[in-house]
Amino acid sequence: MLTINLFNGLVYGALLIVMSSGLALIYGLRRVVNFAHGALYMLGAYLGYTVAIHSNFWVALVAAPAIMAVVGVLLDRYGFRLLQDREPLNVMLVTFGLLLILEDLVVAIWGKGNYSIFTPELLNFSVNLFGHDLPAYRIAVLFMGIAVAVGLTLWLRLSRIGLFVRAASTEPVTTSMQGVNTDVLSAGVVGLGSALAGLAGVVAGPFLSLSPHMSSDVLIDSFVVVVIGGLGSLAGAFIAAILLGMMQALGAVYLPGVSVLLPFLFMIAVLIWRPSGLMGSRT
Amino acid sequence: MNMSMSRVSILSVLTLILGVGIMTFVTSSSLLAMFTQAVVYAISALGVGFLLRQNGLVSFGHALFFGAAGYGMGVILQLEWMSAEAAIFAVLGGLAVMGFLMGLVIVRVPGIAFGMLTLAIGQMAYLLATRATGMTGGTDGMSVAWPNEVFGFSQSVLLKPAVLFMIAWVLMVVVTYILLWVIRTRFGAITEAIRDNEERARFIGITTTVPRSLIFAISGVVTGIAGLLSSFNTGFVSPENLHWSVSAITLLMVVVGGFKRPVGPIVGAIVYFLFKDLLGEYATHSNAIFGAALIAVIVFSPDGITGAIERAFKGKKPAGAAHQPISH
Repeated sequence: MLTINLFNGLVYGALLIVMSSGLALIYGLRRVVNFAHGALYMLGAYLGYTVAIHSNFWVALVAAPAIMAVVGVLLDRYGFRLLQDREPLNVMLVTFGLLLILEDLVVAIWGKGNYSIFTPELLNFSVNLFGHDLPAYRIAVLFMGIAVAVGLTLWLRLSRIGLFVRAASTEPVTTSMQGVNTDVLSAGVVGLGSALAGLAGVVAGPFLSLSPHMSSDVLIDSFVVVVIGGLGSLAGAFIAAILLGMMQALGAVYLPGVSVLLPFLFMIAVLIWRPSGLMGSRT
Repeated sequence: MNMSMSRVSILSVLTLILGVGIMTFVTSSSLLAMFTQAVVYAISALGVGFLLRQNGLVSFGHALFFGAAGYGMGVILQLEWMSAEAAIFAVLGGLAVMGFLMGLVIVRVPGIAFGMLTLAIGQMAYLLATRATGMTGGTDGMSVAWPNEVFGFSQSVLLKPAVLFMIAWVLMVVVTYILLWVIRTRFGAITEAIRDNEERARFIGITTTVPRSLIFAISGVVTGIAGLLSSFNTGFVSPENLHWSVSAITLLMVVVGGFKRPVGPIVGAIVYFLFKDLLGEYATHSNAIFGAALIAVIVFSPDGITGAIERAFKGKKPAGAAHQPISH
């Protein structure tokens, strides 16, 4: 029981890594808390569902994030870029308006019913680990989360563009004076963040059902993750995502009554201790 | 820049008279019920707007106060701890203490994280209410058993649409009056100084956390008053009252109305309900329409409808022009 729960906690943590790294990247470059991120996740999941029905899961896994990347680039070009001199609060509210529109759009196209993406044949088996049958699909999700975390870290640390992204996150004006086109860079990063939200949506399809509520549930958990980790900090988001997944898993075993409250209580505790989060810089 | 308290008093009396006029001349009870709902939400939005104006903090979780007021009232009345009149003050007092203690912790969080934090705390209360079976009834909610007589008036009189509307209207005017007064006190000035530059305020010797927590508490109590009214209106409270969409709609009213002016939230609430009524058959997509309206207002007039009106009147009426819309 405990092993299964721990495993499921890790899998959910991996999903949150994918979601919250997108949020953290967008915050880092554009200083925008993207309320629409949950809606992008939802849109990705529903697009993935439709694509998966007409072809198969693997096409959906590529197509949905690709479409969301385009949406993200457009969002940056015609949204965040035009609003970059506005107060962060205003931009946050714009993304909130966008959330309302996108949620309604999804309901208008797909209706209010619950859907599920079928688990792909290739991964539709169980692996016996530690004396338990664990679904291979979820193991794959776990590895995908790790791959995203490692991939993003390596990209940011080692590549030239990663260097630009880190520079623009701390000193946008100086970075653009050094000849980096921060507008293009931001469009790319918002596109990447949105693609990650879409990826999370498709990947969640086979084990969390698709419903009009899916966006706010995950959005709130991702917010908890990025706040605990420290806004804009990727490493903090990774740690917090896994902690949150674990906490829900262990809570379900030892404190079933209050397990849903644990992440929030933990967040409040962290913020009392460090108002800017685990890895956040004090500004 | 602010008009004097005597002008506020005159406007308040005029607004009260306007309320009497609406109560007298609007005979359709469904229209009055809609107005009442608008006024209840206006009070709720006043709380959210006050927090935003005085602290510069956006709350995505004020449904917590809205719902907690209803639940608090429901539980006290069910357990028959005290009379309904005493319970009203006990609940509001409880909300004030809760808001202050919460504020001590959360107002220290930088502006943007504050919004996410309030969202999470509000949603925690929602989850708690859906999971907690027993007296509060889980997802089904609980009925709030108001006694037959409140403050010596029988319920059949108080629940008449016209009377209920007038109660809500008077409360709205009184709350607005008190908030306008608070803004003009030394305390109000201190909180604005902290809002504009917290570090500077600390350097000149102002403690910053306590005043900001007090603002948070006041704003919570104001929204709680709306929650009490709503529970009296419907005799019912459910987790839906705590859901973050309630907070979000309230915030939307604040922004659309304009938060720079203390009465902006009232304008926003009235506009929201008028729109909702006009949209009628398109109501299934009302969220998308409101989302688009929100974006349009922020892009074209960041200080909302009151801000736009104020700019239109600028030159002719430099002071207090934005207070005009209240008497529409």
